[in-house]
Amino acid sequence: MAAITATEAHGSDAHGAEHPSDLIYWKVFFVLVALTGLEVSTYWWPHSWHKVTAALLIVMMVIKFATVGLYFMHLKTDAKILKRVFFAGIFLAVAVYVAALGAMVFFHDSGTAVQGVTGFNDPPQVKPLPPPATDPPPIIKPATGH
Amino acid sequence: MTDTLSDTSHDIDDPHFEIESVGHEHLPTNTGVSNEKLGMWVFLGSECLMFGGLISTYMLYKNRPNGIELVRGRALGGSPIRPSALFDIPFTSVTSFVLLASSLTMVLAVNAAARNDMQRMRIWLGSTAALGSLFIGGQVYEFTSFHREGLGFTSNVASSAFFTLTGFHGVHVTIGILMLLITIALSLRGRIPHSRAEAIEIVGLYWHFVDVVWILIFTVVYLIK
Repeated sequence: MAAITATEAHGSDAHGAEHPSDLIYWKVFFVLVALTGLEVSTYWWPHSWHKVTAALLIVMMVIKFATVGLYFMHLKTDAKILKRVFFAGIFLAVAVYVAALGAMVFFHDSGTAVQGVTGFNDPPQVKPLPPPATDPPPIIKPATGH
Repeated sequence: MTDTLSDTSHDIDDPHFEIESVGHEHLPTNTGVSNEKLGMWVFLGSECLMFGGLISTYMLYKNRPNGIELVRGRALGGSPIRPSALFDIPFTSVTSFVLLASSLTMVLAVNAAARNDMQRMRIWLGSTAALGSLFIGGQVYEFTSFHREGLGFTSNVASSAFFTLTGFHGVHVTIGILMLLITIALSLRGRIPHSRAEAIEIVGLYWHFVDVVWILIFTVVYLIK
């Protein structure tokens, strides 16, 4: 127990370990502002670039997410167990919802739907009502002779 | 840490020996971090699942404002307006910058608390609360303008998913503002001494989480077409 927890707690800043200086935080903030500015600018990029734009936006989103987590939330210098707890939640969420979206044919949407496969939230197909059932001919029991 | 592990002054038969030997003197836990901080991280990890569900729901329905219009061949009505058709990206970008700036002021407050500069800490915490309130004001304005355009919570499935997602985030920001104000009040009454500065860091963790969730929402909901 002692050996494991000693490793886990290495670099913990809970009491006494170094936090980055205010200057570092200002620098990180300006990097985040620059990335956000670039993100916002993609809104006015030509629509024909939308695939590249989407990929770039996702990359920038991940970088911003990681930067805030590592620097502002101190995951970079904090105990490893905290990192594991948080990333376990993130990975679980990503796995569960990517699987759920896949099951709902989300990734085949946007005009590239697989032939014959209906998306989860596609409008239900309205089928013509079946013709009213006709009454079966009456069964006439044969006379038994009694 | 090595010093505490090699410390032989403890009685090995003492049941508290192991706990004390693995952590800092002030953190008698077997993880090396305080239970409050670990609890906050576990909570934030579980929040990822909740926001993941809300973001996924919006992604599913965002282009299908009339997705449930036909039920058993009967039109339910509703508005065909997509939320994305009403987005005001320049305005939302400004509110995103405001929330990002609030993360900076929050982390500066945590640093001030670590330096035992409580006056400056309160100033930064107050700035964070003010920036958070500005963000909430922007969200209220956005929701109001959507409502004026005819898009309400129950207009269609896309609007329900949008308002649920962004509304839940707004509630989180509001709770964060309340936490900040309570922290300032407690600090003014001298209830947060330097030895309990970790409380500021824990409030900060919650605030930064709210910020990273907005980073996801801003990209996935507002910017990706």
